[in-house]
Amino acid sequence: MAKARAIVKRLKAIKNIRKITRTMELIATARFKKAMDRASQASAYTKKISEIVADIARTAGGDSDEMSHPLLRAPEATKNATLLVITSNRGLAGGYNGGILRGAIRRMKETREAGATLKLEVAGKRGISYMRFQAESAEKTYTNFDDRPGYDEVERIADRYIEEYISGRLDRLDVAYMKFVSASRQTPVVETLLPIGNLATDQAKPARGRVVDYELLPSAQEILKEIVPAAFKARLFKCFLDAAVSEQIARMVAMKGATENADEIIGNLSQKYNRARQSQITSELAEIIGGAAALE
Amino acid sequence: MAIPNQFRLVVVTPEKTLLDESVDSVQVPLYDGMAGIFPGRAPMVGRLGFGEMAVNAGGSKRVWFIDGGFVQVSGNVTSVLTNRAVLPEKLEPSVAEKKLAEANAIVPKNEAAFDAKEREQERNRRIISVARKSR
Repeated sequence: MAKARAIVKRLKAIKNIRKITRTMELIATARFKKAMDRASQASAYTKKISEIVADIARTAGGDSDEMSHPLLRAPEATKNATLLVITSNRGLAGGYNGGILRGAIRRMKETREAGATLKLEVAGKRGISYMRFQAESAEKTYTNFDDRPGYDEVERIADRYIEEYISGRLDRLDVAYMKFVSASRQTPVVETLLPIGNLATDQAKPARGRVVDYELLPSAQEILKEIVPAAFKARLFKCFLDAAVSEQIARMVAMKGATENADEIIGNLSQKYNRARQSQITSELAEIIGGAAALE
Repeated sequence: MAIPNQFRLVVVTPEKTLLDESVDSVQVPLYDGMAGIFPGRAPMVGRLGFGEMAVNAGGSKRVWFIDGGFVQVSGNVTSVLTNRAVLPEKLEPSVAEKKLAEANAIVPKNEAAFDAKEREQERNRRIISVARKSR
């Protein structure tokens, strides 16, 4: 009797857990769709920016003097580097945070070995507690980014980086986050956002045959002065959007696995329970028959 | 070459695509004043300032407050890229007035700070004027 009872208790617990994981999977799926929509809407902006930059470069005739901007210039030596780690606020997302943090720790080591001072900034509660555990002090922490990162919030951070970079207090900015490649593939990466290596690297498409001769108002230089920071902000924003989408996918996959696992355990346990119950009935029957036989 | 009487206007912000439709004309605030764009305009890339963007389509006029950015005219497509596009009713002139007062109080110590001050003043003045116009 006792054994069957214990199994029933476990079975109930696992059924409850299954309900939770199943619900979390559904929620993650819904959030993923929303985050995905936002990310694809935002990519229109990034695409347009690269297009304009490429067009200006062509119109200006690749004149290197015209195409210069403080954010494009690489400093001679990297003395002060900042690493921004984007993790999630909540757990239960499989290997999502682990992958990012491993990459971040590796980059921190490399930077320190190269003799640069490193400032650490962490977004997401998971990353914050991990860094605290590793006895790494984070310069700044953010917990206000969830599955809907706002442009205004990102812009404020980006403005600070731009200001620091131009004034020479920052030589390199790395961002560790989960890059969204496709719905079935996300990879943890550490990307260098500053100095901006090549503005036109991720441009959507090259010139469509004929070159359009643009009228530039006020001038290529002036437009560049505005568009380079805008491109940087758009890139940083994209990191946050990618992270948000990847987090939901990671959680979805993790919860799907957990639900399937719970199903398997429920199957095993109910089989065990049936066996235990059957053997209990058999032994009770044997006792009754034995008792009746003794009376005859 | 016949010039079509409408063109495609795409307005994008970092967060979303606000508008993608055929329009008769659009007025945008360039860095030095308003510019009107009609079908068949020569290709251009321009820096935007702060102010109202007016979209005319089918006899109706819609207005947004534009917070800097760029405009690109290429063939039959005009793209407006901006950090923020806000409906005039959603603007907060009281906040802008406070920020304007703050900007006025700044004593710039170098060129960059001076530019920043001017920008902030211009931005808040525009917000106030666009908001007032819509009332």
